[in-house]
Amino acid sequence: MMPKLGTAFTNMQRFLPLSATVLLFFAAYAVGAMVYTPMRDPQVFLNLFRNTPFLLISAVGMTFVILSGGIDLSVSGMVALTTVASAALLRAGLNAWLVMLLMLVMGMTMGAIMGSLITYLKVQPFIVTLAGMWVARGLCFFISDDRININNRTYTILARTKLLIPGLADPVTQQGPFVSILVVVAVMVLVVAMYVLHYTRFGRTVYAMGGGGGANEQSARLMGLPVDRTKVIVYTLNGFCSALAGITMSMMVMSGHGLYANGFELTVIAVVVMGGTMLTGGEGYVFGTLFGVLVYAIIQALIQFNGKLSSWWTNIVVGLLMLMFIGIQSFLAARRIRRVASKRERAGVARGWRPILAGGRPSLSLGGGVVVVLILALLGVMSAQGTGLRIGGSSPTEEARCEPKPYRQDQAASLMESGAVVAFERNGGPHCTDFLYAIYPDGRIVGDDGVNTVEKQITPEEVSELLSAINDQGWFTDEMYDTWHTPCRQCYGHYVTISYDGQEKTVKGVNGGTDAPAEYWHVVALITGLLPEFPPAEQGMQGETP
Amino acid sequence: MNQSTSASSLTWAKVTESKLFFPILVLAFIFLFDLVAIPGFFRIESRDGDLYGSLIHILRNGSTVMVLALGMTLVIATGGVDLSVGAVMAIAASVAALMMNPYVLAEELPPHLMSMMQDPYFTYSPLWVVIPVALIVSIVCGLWNGLLVAYGKIEPMVATLILMIAGRGIAQLITNAVRIQIFYQPYAFIGQGWLILPFSLYIVAVVYVFSWVLTRKTAIGLFVSSVGINFRSSFFSGIDEKKIKLMAYAFCGFCAGIAGLIASSNIKTSDANNIGLLLELDAILAVVIGGTLLGAGGRFSLLASIFGALVMQATTTSMYALGVPANAVTAIKGLVVFLVILLYSEQVGGFLRRIGGRQGV
Repeated sequence: MMPKLGTAFTNMQRFLPLSATVLLFFAAYAVGAMVYTPMRDPQVFLNLFRNTPFLLISAVGMTFVILSGGIDLSVSGMVALTTVASAALLRAGLNAWLVMLLMLVMGMTMGAIMGSLITYLKVQPFIVTLAGMWVARGLCFFISDDRININNRTYTILARTKLLIPGLADPVTQQGPFVSILVVVAVMVLVVAMYVLHYTRFGRTVYAMGGGGGANEQSARLMGLPVDRTKVIVYTLNGFCSALAGITMSMMVMSGHGLYANGFELTVIAVVVMGGTMLTGGEGYVFGTLFGVLVYAIIQALIQFNGKLSSWWTNIVVGLLMLMFIGIQSFLAARRIRRVASKRERAGVARGWRPILAGGRPSLSLGGGVVVVLILALLGVMSAQGTGLRIGGSSPTEEARCEPKPYRQDQAASLMESGAVVAFERNGGPHCTDFLYAIYPDGRIVGDDGVNTVEKQITPEEVSELLSAINDQGWFTDEMYDTWHTPCRQCYGHYVTISYDGQEKTVKGVNGGTDAPAEYWHVVALITGLLPEFPPAEQGMQGETP
Repeated sequence: MNQSTSASSLTWAKVTESKLFFPILVLAFIFLFDLVAIPGFFRIESRDGDLYGSLIHILRNGSTVMVLALGMTLVIATGGVDLSVGAVMAIAASVAALMMNPYVLAEELPPHLMSMMQDPYFTYSPLWVVIPVALIVSIVCGLWNGLLVAYGKIEPMVATLILMIAGRGIAQLITNAVRIQIFYQPYAFIGQGWLILPFSLYIVAVVYVFSWVLTRKTAIGLFVSSVGINFRSSFFSGIDEKKIKLMAYAFCGFCAGIAGLIASSNIKTSDANNIGLLLELDAILAVVIGGTLLGAGGRFSLLASIFGALVMQATTTSMYALGVPANAVTAIKGLVVFLVILLYSEQVGGFLRRIGGRQGV
């Protein structure tokens, strides 16, 4: 009886990280649904998929790479390159399907090149794929420095078509829960990957290669498995997935830019690890990756529903979750080693639960678990406070999804013509505000956000002092140049026009990036220090200084 | 084969096998290219006794990566890797900026922020408090990595990935996601000051001498290599491999802290989102170009890592001088890395040895 139970437990153990992820996802969803009523809407659940198809596609490819004992940092560069290249080709008038095909071929070629370098020159995957990322991201800027918008009918149809869920939605009025075509594509990729990984010779080879710090690869080679070929194929496959993720992303944002998907590779790796795959390779399930993606999406959703927590909490929670999963994995690995050792000592005697109470690693995983529970509790408490304040107000989803207002640079130009020396426009942020301020030489400052106006009077000396300080920052030199990228939810786009000493110059920039010169933010800080604030309902400058 | 030819082939082998050989070779190639393609690249001018020019520019802009590479060399030599240095830089910068200018987090902006900015010595805490505290915080970050790797027995890449992802969040937490401006002139001197040469270079020199003494004048360097080559047998020969690893990661955190201070004083803000972003990759590449084996560890050369960092920076600066747009330079950098990979491959190594052999014959 005892040995049998032991085997059953060992078999179950293989699924422990996976089931922990699944459990965590449903627990987080249940907590969210209890605290936030709007989250019970089935559409919110489906949105977890709708917001992340490119993450899922890329994570599936990464699961193959990690299982084979490698790593691929090039995904973010490949995704960005795909968005830019496809946007440029579509602008040139190429057929949309041809563009997609070309992108996939490009991704696979890049993957194959990197895979060959890794396999045949025996270079660390880390280094090769890092260089690949740089090359891909740099190429984006050879194609275009600015964002390219996509205006293509096929892309629009693929991105916008609603697939209603049968049984839940009303087919006549077209109302009810729905998913997008991209979600279906992502799920298809997942299903195909599961089949390939578990039911083909190639998949078994991938598992056989990974893990054991390279020793397993050696064994696989000695068993006569085609290790070299498989390795190249794995990276080619991931190149394919990256390109597909890039196509998906360009459909979701309908544009291409070289700064898209910055740091995306880390999210992908974190998601795969959260899905229960060992970063050393050889162990894990691509099905777990799905739940890794969902856990990531639910953390983001909870933070968005809360509305008060900044988006960087996502990073902290993801870091802690990784710690927990790594704790579980290393504990299981240590347990297995001990089991083998004890079997050698006394054959047939199952040790059962004893190792859990001994040694340092279980305490580590327990500690990690405790920290995660604490953080989740903290999130829960904070979110409860958030809802308390929000009763009767607009639902957080509507607020989080506000539409950005258009820029009013024509109005700014007319302000400058009417004698203003500074025109300052700040647009974006979590509430999609658009402030336009004008400072006049006599010290009058007028601001409006499209609804309200505010006024403030400072001395003319202060204005001239401000202008000369701005001039000292090199405003009219070539060191002050335009930069632009799509503002994040917390970021603002800025247009600053300065007229001084007969010169006039407008410089734009978005905070949250390194591209703009530091002096630009210095000038923005100088100006915002003087500006009057809007009534608190609009939640303006405070705590949001660039 | 007579005495002299075998001696010459021996020297050739010695030269090609030195860890300094490839970095200097690549650097020479880059400079040769500059000599032909960019007129005036090597011109150095003196303004008020301070030196300026492209070469000085390379040294100054490469200083953060050089410092990072020193710490990273020891970690990689123990067979590990530290992905979190960029995030630790951001944490150190945030701590330093917050200590100098905590007013930003106040509910209301101070009314006379303008006049405070005008005072170049305006600060909340003096420099001799700011720097040690920021460095201690970064050493703690390094110790955390070391604990996970040495005592938690977690794969280094995974263990440091945790802090890499969470670290930026922590830095945002410290500054409440505000980009803190730094007005304190003495702090700005760290990254922007010149004493004939850029001041940050002297910092690099001090850290280099310190780590050189640490690894070459004490047994620690030997221990680090032996842990990297085989940690089990070093344990059996009486080396406390866990403590050595812990020390390496703590030192790497310390170096990341210094780099964070240089970077933040250079742009005079704490930019938790962007300080040191992806710099861990530059640092790791610098070490790899310097010939220390990533993943395997073992023998290392601090000077070669410094040259590795210079190779990266020289590439970037040359491309800027040629007028390549800033964002596109990464592509060239990637190609240089591919070139270096080819140079380091066994095939090319064998080819070089054959050349040496032919010379001998």
